[in-house]
Amino acid sequence: MKIIPPQCPEPETVKYWKSIDQLENSAEVRTWIDREFPDKASEADFNRRDFVKLMSASMAFAGIGLMGSGCRKPEQKIYPFSKLPDDYVHGSAKFYATAMPTRTGAIPLLVKSNDGRPTKIEGNPDHPDSNGSTDLFAQASILSLYDPDRAQRFASKGSDVSREAANDQLSAISRQFAANNGQGLAFLLERAASPSRNRLQQATAQKFPAAKWFVYDAVDVDVHRQAASLATGRSVTPYFRFDQARAILSLDCDFIGAESDTHLHCRNFARGRRVSKAGDPMSRLYIAETLMTQTGMNADHRLRISSSQIVAVAAAIGAAIAPGLAAIASRFPLPAGVKPEWIAECAKDLRANAGAALVVAGYRQPLAVHLLAHAINAALGANGKTVQFRETLDLKEQGITQLAADLNAGMVDTLVVLGGNPVHTAPADLNWTATQRKAKTVVRLGYYEDETFAGSDLHLPAAHYLESWGDARTADGTVVIVQPLIQPLFNGVTEIEVLARIAGLPETDSYSITRATFGGNDEAWKKALHDGFVANSAVQPAAVPFNAAVVTQAFANFSVEAPSKDKLEVIFTRDYKVDDGRWANNGWLVELPDPVTKMTWDNAVLVSRKTADELGVSNTQIVDIDLGGRKVSAAIWVQPGQADNVLGLTLGFGRDKGGRIANFNNEKVGFNFYPLRSAANPNIAVGAKVTATPAKYSFACTQDHWSMEGRPIIREANLKQFNEHPNFVKELDFETPPGGNESLYPNPLDWKKQKGQHQWGMAVDLNTCVGCNACVMACVSENNIPVVGKDQVRRGREMQWIRIDRYYTGSPESQKSHNPLTPDEEQYREKWIDDPQVVNQPMMCQHCEAAPCENVCPVNATVHDDEGLNLMVYNRCVGTRYCSNNCPWKVRRFNYFDYNKRPIGKGLYTPVTSLKHTKKEDEWELLKLVRNPEVSVRMRGVMEKCTFCVQRIEGAKIAQKVKAGQSGDVIVPDRTIKTACEQACPAEAIVFGDISDPKSKVSLAKADTRNYATLDFLNTRPRLTYLARIRNPNPAMPDYYDMPLTSQVFAEKAGHSETHAAAAQKGGAH
Amino acid sequence: MAANVANKPVLANPPAELERVPLVENNRSIGWISDAVSRIVEDKTPKWWWAAFVPSFIFMTILLTMLAYQISTGVGVWGNHAPEMWGWDIINFVWWIGIGHAGTLISAILFLLRQRWRTGVNRAAEAMTIFAVMCAGIFPAIHVGRVWYDWWLFPIPNPYNVWPQFRSPLMWDVFAVSTYFTVSVLFWYIGLVPDLAVIRDRAKTRLRKILYGIPALGWNGSNRHWNNYEKCYLILAGVSTPLVLSVHSIVSLDFAVSQLPGWHTTIFPPYFVAGAIFSGFGMVLTLLLPLRKLMKLEDIITMRHVDLMCKVTLATGSIVGYAYCMEFFIAWYSGNPYEKFTFWNRAFGPFGWSYFTMMTCNVLVPQLFWMKRFRTNLVAVFILSILVNIGMWFERFVIVVTSLHRDFLPSSWGYYKPTPVDILTFLGTFGLFFTMFLLFLRFLPMIAVSEVKGVTPQADPHHPLGGAKGGHH
Repeated sequence: MKIIPPQCPEPETVKYWKSIDQLENSAEVRTWIDREFPDKASEADFNRRDFVKLMSASMAFAGIGLMGSGCRKPEQKIYPFSKLPDDYVHGSAKFYATAMPTRTGAIPLLVKSNDGRPTKIEGNPDHPDSNGSTDLFAQASILSLYDPDRAQRFASKGSDVSREAANDQLSAISRQFAANNGQGLAFLLERAASPSRNRLQQATAQKFPAAKWFVYDAVDVDVHRQAASLATGRSVTPYFRFDQARAILSLDCDFIGAESDTHLHCRNFARGRRVSKAGDPMSRLYIAETLMTQTGMNADHRLRISSSQIVAVAAAIGAAIAPGLAAIASRFPLPAGVKPEWIAECAKDLRANAGAALVVAGYRQPLAVHLLAHAINAALGANGKTVQFRETLDLKEQGITQLAADLNAGMVDTLVVLGGNPVHTAPADLNWTATQRKAKTVVRLGYYEDETFAGSDLHLPAAHYLESWGDARTADGTVVIVQPLIQPLFNGVTEIEVLARIAGLPETDSYSITRATFGGNDEAWKKALHDGFVANSAVQPAAVPFNAAVVTQAFANFSVEAPSKDKLEVIFTRDYKVDDGRWANNGWLVELPDPVTKMTWDNAVLVSRKTADELGVSNTQIVDIDLGGRKVSAAIWVQPGQADNVLGLTLGFGRDKGGRIANFNNEKVGFNFYPLRSAANPNIAVGAKVTATPAKYSFACTQDHWSMEGRPIIREANLKQFNEHPNFVKELDFETPPGGNESLYPNPLDWKKQKGQHQWGMAVDLNTCVGCNACVMACVSENNIPVVGKDQVRRGREMQWIRIDRYYTGSPESQKSHNPLTPDEEQYREKWIDDPQVVNQPMMCQHCEAAPCENVCPVNATVHDDEGLNLMVYNRCVGTRYCSNNCPWKVRRFNYFDYNKRPIGKGLYTPVTSLKHTKKEDEWELLKLVRNPEVSVRMRGVMEKCTFCVQRIEGAKIAQKVKAGQSGDVIVPDRTIKTACEQACPAEAIVFGDISDPKSKVSLAKADTRNYATLDFLNTRPRLTYLARIRNPNPAMPDYYDMPLTSQVFAEKAGHSETHAAAAQKGGAH
Repeated sequence: MAANVANKPVLANPPAELERVPLVENNRSIGWISDAVSRIVEDKTPKWWWAAFVPSFIFMTILLTMLAYQISTGVGVWGNHAPEMWGWDIINFVWWIGIGHAGTLISAILFLLRQRWRTGVNRAAEAMTIFAVMCAGIFPAIHVGRVWYDWWLFPIPNPYNVWPQFRSPLMWDVFAVSTYFTVSVLFWYIGLVPDLAVIRDRAKTRLRKILYGIPALGWNGSNRHWNNYEKCYLILAGVSTPLVLSVHSIVSLDFAVSQLPGWHTTIFPPYFVAGAIFSGFGMVLTLLLPLRKLMKLEDIITMRHVDLMCKVTLATGSIVGYAYCMEFFIAWYSGNPYEKFTFWNRAFGPFGWSYFTMMTCNVLVPQLFWMKRFRTNLVAVFILSILVNIGMWFERFVIVVTSLHRDFLPSSWGYYKPTPVDILTFLGTFGLFFTMFLLFLRFLPMIAVSEVKGVTPQADPHHPLGGAKGGHH
C-alpha cells in the first residue's frame, strides 16, 4: 500500500508564522528560506548521512515554505521520517509502480526503493500489454538518476540563479506574450505520449494561439504514425502483433533493437517463436536490411541490401502480392545480387499466410516504403489482425527545419526548448548553435549542462522520471502514471511544470497537473497509482479502411539513388546503447557491449568486408568521410553481414560536452557523426567518399573471436529437422566413455544436497533469446557491478556477470577456407563473414554440480551449498585467480583494481603515488545511492561471478519461513523468485527455479527435448542448461540450408566418426 | 692386450688409459685448494665483482619498487586478464623453481649415487637453488589479489575454524615449495660448516673470526665431528632426494589438476621434473663458466665437469623433447577436438612463435651436445646454456599462455600481452638473484673445500700421490 499524498494546494496568503522576523519577511529569513539548505551546508558537498539529514530537513522546511510566496512549493509527496509511514520497516525494500516515458509511450515499471532511494527497476508484470518486460534503457536509467553530471542548478546566462528567480522569468515570459497572443513564442519539444503534456500544450495554445510548436527527435520513429494515418485517412498509430504473425517480413525494420517499444516487440516476437515439442507452430522472419541488426541476427532469411534499395525489394514483393503495385515495382528494378526467387518465394510464403502475415518497415525508411508496407499488409489481410490501428491525437507540430527557418527570419522572440539536446543532435546544415541564438531568449529544460547549455539564457534542470509526476500512454493506449520515488535530488522540474508556468496556469506542480489530467475520483487515482496503470484504458483497435491511392501519390515524386564504391550510402542510426546521445553519460550503457559488434566505449564506421577491401582500408583504420562537403574522421569496423557500399554510423557518441563518461578523461568517447547529417536526409544519404588515413584506432571489444569453430556450444536445428528428430540435441553430446562417467572421487554435493530444501537451476531458451542485453543491464543494476573504463575492457577485464556470446557462421563453402588459428584481428579479411548466420547465447555462471572452480581454490572461497548454488565468499577470497583459469566458460570476473573506489579508468594510479585519485566525494556520494544494499560491494583482489541472485533467493526463503511459522512449510513456491536477468528478459527466455520440484517452470523447461548442457563432456553437470535454438527457414528459398550453418560446420568437423549425429542433423535416417 | 699388460712391470699407478681425468687438475695439492677457495673470500674485492654487483643491486631495487607498486595498486598493473588470468607471474614462478632444481639434484642424488664429480660444483649450485627458490617464491605470494591474506594458505588454526582447501594444488604448492626451501637451506648450511671453520681458522682479524666462528658451530675437524657430519649429510641427502622429484611434480599439478586442454595431462609430473633439471643445469653452466675463469678455478671446476653437465643437459633436454611430442600424440589420439585444437593452436596459432622458440631452444639446440666439439667449446656451452634457459622460460609461457588464451568457448578467446611492470618485475628478480649470489661468492666459500679435497688423488691413501706425499702448489 502506497502513501497517497494529501491534497495540499498552494496557499495564497501567509497563514502561519513562527516569529516576528518571519512575519515581517526580513532579508535574513528570505535568504534562509531561499537557500535550499541551511548555511554552511553547501548544496553540492554532502555525504550519505548528511544527504539523509538534508532530505528530512528539507521536508521539514517545506512546512515553513508555506509562509512565503515564491519560495519552495509545499511538499506533497513524501512525509518526513519523523512521522514514519505505517507500514515502513527499516531496511526492507518497497516497490512502487511507475513508468519510464519513451518517445512513443512508456515502459510500465515497478521500482524498488530502499530507505527512500530507488535502487532497481523492474517491469510491471500487471500491465496488460508489456506485462513485465523492460529494455536495457529502463534498466540503466536508474544510474542516470544518480549521475553526478546532471544539471544541478538553475542558471541564467550560465550563472546560478535561485529556482524562484527562474520561475519569475518564466512568469515574465507568460506575461510578456499574454499581450500579443504568443506571437514570437516557439516551443521545441521531443516526442512523447503524455496526456498531461498534451493537455497543457492545448491550454498553452489556447492562451497563446500564435505560439508555434515544433518537435525534433534525432531518432524519429514518428514515421510509423504518419504512414498509418496517411494510409488510413484517420489519425492512428499502428500496433504490430508479432505474436499473431506466422510470416513476418521486415523491411530494414529493427523492431527488436533500434525501434521504439522493443521490449514489447521482443516479448511478442518470442511468443510467436516458442516451440517445445515437435509440431508446435513457429513464426518465420524474413528481413531485408542494410546493417547487421539484432532483428537480422534473429531472422530465418536475411537479405543484405543497401537502404536505398530496400524500396525495390518492397515493391517487388508488393507486386507479387498486390498486382496493383506492379507499376511501382517496375520503376525500381531489383539490384544485382538479389535473386528473384528470394522475392518470389518470400511473397509466396506471405501470401500463404495471409491473415497471419505481417510486413513492417523500419523508421529509417522513407514514408513511401512505409506506405508500400501498408499496401502489402492490406493485400495480405493483415489489418486488424497482425497490424492494429489505434486512434491517437493528430499532432500538428512542425519540424526543426521550419523552426530554423523561423529563427533565421527573426520570427522567434523566445524559444523554449523542452528536453532534447539540439545543439548536438540537430542536422548539421541548420547550423544550430548560431541559429538558436537568433532567438532573443532561449529557455531550456535539460538534464545535463551539455552542448545546448551554452546557448541558453535560462537553463532549468530537468527532473528524472523517478523524481517527478507524469503520465503516458503505452503502445496499446493504456494510461500509466509516472510516480516519483524520491524528492528531486537537484530541485529539477519537468516539462509539464514549465509549460504550466508559461501558460500561467494556477497549478504549476507536476502532481496537481497529473492529478487534474487524470480526473476521476480519489479511489480510482489510488488504484491507478497502486497498479501503475489505469485499468481498461487501452485504446481499442479501430477498423480503418486502407486508402490505396496514397501509395501511388507517395511514389509520384519518389526516386532513389543506388550507392556505389565512389558514392557510398551513409546510414545514420540509433545506437543500441546511447540512443541518440541521451545515454552517453551513463557508464553502464557505455560499457555495455554492443549487441552486434560487442564494442564498448565507442562507435565506429561500420562497413562490409568487400567495401573495406575496395576502399583499401583495414579494420580499425581511421578514415575521413566526406558527405556533401561535410567531413568527419572516424575509425573503421568491418561488420560481418553488412550490405556493400554502405557506411553504418551510429549516433550519440563523440560528445563535445557530455559529462565524465561521455567525455572520459576529457576526451570524446567514440565519434560524432551528426556533423554529416543533413535535414533533408537524416537517415539515409548517398554520395559519401572515404579517404584512408594511416592512423589506427584501438577499440575495446569484449568478444574478439567471431566463429564458434564447429563446437556444439550453441545447438540449433531447422524446424523440419526438429519435428523429425526432436532429440537432436542429445546427438550432439560427446560420446560417453565406456563405463560411464563414474568418478573415483564422489562429488560431495551428492550427499550434501539431500539436506537441501530446494535445488536451484536455470534454463535459457536460445530460441526466444534475441540478445537484447536487458538481462546484462539488470544484472549490473542488481549486483552492484562496477564500470571499469575502456582501457580495462580492452585488457579483457570487463566485470559484467552475464555476457551475450555472439557467433557468426559462414556458409559451408566459404567456411572451408576459414582457418581457426588465424589471429583474431585478421578475421575481418575472411570471406565467410559476408553472409553469416548469427547465434546468441547469454553466458553466466553455470553453477556446476561438480564445479571445477571449487576444488582448485586453496582457501575455500568458492564452495557449494546444499541447494546446489556455487557460492563465492568474497571475504575469504585471496585472489589466486585459479578458479577463473579452471572455469571452462570463463564467467568469473576479477577485481584487478579497486574499481568501486577509484575513479573509472584511474585504477593504475596507486594510492602511494597519488592520493588524490580516489573517487571525488560528490561523485561517489551520489553513485553510492544506486547500490543494492543487499549485495556486497567487492573490493579489489577478489573474484566475483553470477550468484543466481542469491540475495533474492535468501530473501524469499526468509519470507517463506516467516510465513510458514509453525506449519513448517518452508518450501518457496515456484515463480516466487525471479533472478534479475529473468525479471528483465523481455523474451521470457530465462527461467529460474527449483529443479527438485518436477512441476516447477524450470523443471518443465529442462524436460524439454531441446534441453542440453554446454560442454557436457566435462561432466561438471551444470545447473544452467540451454534449450536449443530452432530456425524456421523456408525450403523454397534460394538461401535455404538443410540445417543451420553452425550444425553443418559441426558435422563437417566431426567427420565420419560422428556420422550418427551428422546424419541426424541432416534429417536422414539412422 | 692382456699380453701387453703382463709384459709391463706392475705399478702402483693404474694404466694410463684406465686413469680417469682427475677431478682436480694439474695435480694441485690440498693446501692449494684451501688457498684457492679461501682467497676469494679473503682477498680485496675484485673490480668485476663491483661491476656485477651494482647493476644487480639496482635491479633488485627495481623489483622492490615494482612490488610496492603492484601491492599498493592492484594486480591490474600486470598484463594478465580474462581468459589468461595467469601470465608472467606464474611463468616466472615455475621457471625459477625449475632452476632451483639442479642444486639439490647435484647435492643429494649425485651424492647418493657416489658421483664424486659433484663436489666441484655442488656448493654454488645449492646456493643458486636457494636464491632461485627465493625468486620463485615471490611470485605466488604477491600475484594474488589480496597479498595481506596470504597466510590463509597455511593451515593455521584460527577462530573462524576455516581451513585451507586441501584439494587445491595451490595448497600443495605451499607445502612443497616451503619444504623444499627449508631442506635445501639446511643441506647447504650443513655442508658449509667445515668450510666456514676453514675460513675462521685462516681469519686474520678478530671480527672475521667471530663472524665465521659462530656459523661454524665450533667445528674442530675431530674424528667425532666428521663422523656426525657425514651421517647428518647422508640423512639430509636422503631426505632431499624425494623432494627433487616432488617439488616440480607438485608444481606441475597446478596445471595437471585443472581440466583445461593443454594443462590436463598426466605426463606433466615427470616431464616437469626433467625440464627442471634441464633448466637447472643450464643455469649452473651459465653461472659457473664465467666464474671458473674469473676466479681462476679451472683446476677445480674442470672441463670434465662441464662435459658431464652438458651430457645431463642433453639427456634431460631429450626427455623434454619426447614429452612435447607425446603431448601432441595424445592430443591426437584422445580424439577430443578441444584437446586437438589446443595443441594445434599452440604450434600454429597466434602464439606459434613462442612454441617454436621453445622447440628450438629446448629440443634442437641441446642435440649439439652429442658432439664433443660443442661440449668442449666453452663459448658454445655458455651460449647454449643461455638458450636452454630461454627455451625453458618459453616452455612455461607456452603452457600457461597458449593453453589459456584459446580454451573451450571461442567467445572468451583473447591475446596476452605483458605490461612493463611484468617485465620489470621479472628483470628485478634477476637483480635479487645476482645480488644474493654475488654476496654468496664474496662471503662464503663457493667450493666445498673439504669435499673437493676428499676427491683428490692426494686424499686417496692407495693412490701414488696419496698420503702425505704432497702435490705442487
